[in-house]
Amino acid sequence: MAEPLLIGSAGLACLFALIALRVPIAYSMILVGGIGVSILNGPAIFMSQLKTLAYGQFSIYDLSVVPMFVLMGNIATRAELSGDLFRAANAWLGRMRGGVAMATIAACAGFGSVCGSSLATASTMGKIALPELKRYGYTGSLATGTVAAGGVLGILIPPSVVLVIYAIIVEANIVTMFKAALIPGLIAVVFFLIAIRIFVYVHPEAGPRGDPVSRQELISATLRLIPVLTIFGLVIGGIYFGFFNPTPAAAIGVFLVWAYGSARRLLGWQAMRDAILETARTSGMIYLILLGAEMMKIFMSRGGVPQAIAEWMVASGLSAMVILGILLLALILLGCLMDSLSMILLAIPFFWPVLVTINGGDYVSAEDAAYGMTSEDLKIWFGILALIVVELGLITPPVGMNVFVISALAKDVPMRDTFIGVIPFFGAEMVRIIVLLAFPAITLWLPSVLSG
Amino acid sequence: MKINPTISSLSIVLCWLIRSWALVGGLLLMIVVVINVVSNVGSAAWGKPFAGDFELTEIGVAVAAFCFLPYCQLTGSNVSADIFTAKASAQMITVMAFFGNLTAFVFSLLLLWRMYYGLLDQKSYDYTTTILQFPHWIAFIPILISLVLLAVAAFLNLTGVKANS
Repeated sequence: MAEPLLIGSAGLACLFALIALRVPIAYSMILVGGIGVSILNGPAIFMSQLKTLAYGQFSIYDLSVVPMFVLMGNIATRAELSGDLFRAANAWLGRMRGGVAMATIAACAGFGSVCGSSLATASTMGKIALPELKRYGYTGSLATGTVAAGGVLGILIPPSVVLVIYAIIVEANIVTMFKAALIPGLIAVVFFLIAIRIFVYVHPEAGPRGDPVSRQELISATLRLIPVLTIFGLVIGGIYFGFFNPTPAAAIGVFLVWAYGSARRLLGWQAMRDAILETARTSGMIYLILLGAEMMKIFMSRGGVPQAIAEWMVASGLSAMVILGILLLALILLGCLMDSLSMILLAIPFFWPVLVTINGGDYVSAEDAAYGMTSEDLKIWFGILALIVVELGLITPPVGMNVFVISALAKDVPMRDTFIGVIPFFGAEMVRIIVLLAFPAITLWLPSVLSG
Repeated sequence: MKINPTISSLSIVLCWLIRSWALVGGLLLMIVVVINVVSNVGSAAWGKPFAGDFELTEIGVAVAAFCFLPYCQLTGSNVSADIFTAKASAQMITVMAFFGNLTAFVFSLLLLWRMYYGLLDQKSYDYTTTILQFPHWIAFIPILISLVLLAVAAFLNLTGVKANS
C-alpha cells in the first residue's frame, strides 16, 4: 500500500539530483517520470501511452496561445516599439528628479503589455534606457537596478506566458487569470515609481532631473504611443470583454506587431528569420518541459505523493495562513535556483492540492473555507502571488537572470552594483506581496466585475 | 582531435537541415496566425468564421512545436539549473552534458518507435478531426521526421561534431 508512495518519493529525490547535476530540467522529468510510471504501472501500459501522449499534450488548444505570445514578443523586440514607449514616458516623467528611471519603469510596463517574457523586456528596454540614464548622469546601480527590476513587470501584465502555464496546470480559466493579473501588475508599477521617488529623496545625486520638454514635443511623443495602445487595447481588451478567445487575440497581436514593424521597414527577411528561430528555441523548450511535467504528473499521482503531502500538511496543525506563507517562501527559495517556468511546472502540482485540501476541498463555500474564499477564487489569488514570488528569483542572487542580462548590456557597471540597485525594488515587491496577501479583493475584484 | 572533412561537411548539412526544419515550423505557426486572424476578422465583418479553425490551430501548433524540438536541442536551449554545479570542473561538465544528450538521444528514438505505432493506430482506426475530417495520421508524418532530426541533433551534440551556426 505504502510502496507506490515510497517509489514516488524516491523518484522525486532522483529528479532533484538530476536537476542539480545539470541535466536539462525537461529531460530530468522525462527520465524520472518515464521510469517511475514503468515501475508502478508496468512498462507495457507506459509504452502504449507514449504512442499518443506527446501529440495529445502538444495539441491542447489552450496551449496554442503560448508560441503565439512568444512570437509576438520576439517580433515586438525587433519592431522598435521600445524606443517610442521610452520617449513618451520620458517626455512626461523625465523632468522630475529620478524621472528618467521612472520613465524606464513605465516603458517596461508598456513593453510588458506586448511581450510576455521578463528577460526579453529587460534586455529590450535596457538597450534603449541604459544609454539615456547614463547620459543624464544617473548612478550605475540605480540605472541597472531599474531596468533589471522593470523586466519583472512583464510577468503579470498580460500577455504572460507563465500565467498561461499556471492556468493550464491548475485548470483555471486563462481569461480570468488575465483579468486578475492586471491590477496587481499596475500596483507593481506604482510601487516601483514610489521606490524610485524615495530613493532619490535619500540620494538626490543618484537621479538628476532630465531636460524640460516643450508642449510640442510632449504631444508628438504621446501621439507615438497610439500603436502600442491600440495593440494592447485590441489584444487584452478583446480578451477581457469576451470578443476573442486568447488564441485568436494573440494571433491578432502577432499580426498587428508585425504590421507595425513592417510599416517602419524594420522587419526584413533577416529580422523575421531571427524572430522565428528565437521563437523555436523558446517554444521548443517550453513544450518539452510540458511533456516532461505531464509524465511526472502521471507518475506522482499514481504514487500518491501530492495527496500524501497535502494530508501531512493538514495533519501538522499549522494555520492556513502559515502554510500559505511556507509555500510562498519555498517558491522564493526555489525560484532563486531555477527559471520561473520550470519552477511553476515543478512545484504547483504539489502545492495546489495542499491548498485545496486545507481550504476544505473543491466545492467548499466561501463561509466555510479556511481562506475565506471558494477554491476557485483561491486558485486565482494563489496564482498571482505565486507568479510574483517566483519572479523575485530573477532579481536576487545567486541566479538573478535579469541582473545577468543587464550586466551583459552595461559592462561598465559591476554586477554587484546592479544587485544593490535592485534592493529598493525588492523592498517594493515585498510590500506588494503583503498588500495582496492582506487584501485578496485587489486580485479578485476585476475578474468578478468583468465576468458578465 | 582531427575531424574528417567528410563528416564535418555532413554535419554542416545536418545543422542546416535542422535549422530549416525549425523555420518550416515557424512558417506553420504563421499560417495558424493568419487562419485565426482571418477567421475572427471574418466572423466580425461578415458573420462567417473560418470552418474548423480550432482544430487547425491544435494540429498546426502541435506539429510546429515538434518541428522546433531538434533546433532547440542543437542550440542547447533546454534550460537546466546551473547553480549547483557552478564550481564543477570543465571535465565534469562535459560528462554531465554527455548524459543529458544521451538521454535526449535515447528518448527521441523511443518516442520515434512508439509514435510510429501511434501513426499506424490513428490510420487503422481512421481517427479524424470533427469538422474538417482531417486524418490525424497525416500530422504524425512531420512529427516523426522531427523526432528523427531530434535524434540527429542529440547525436551531433554527443559527438561534438557541430558546425558553428
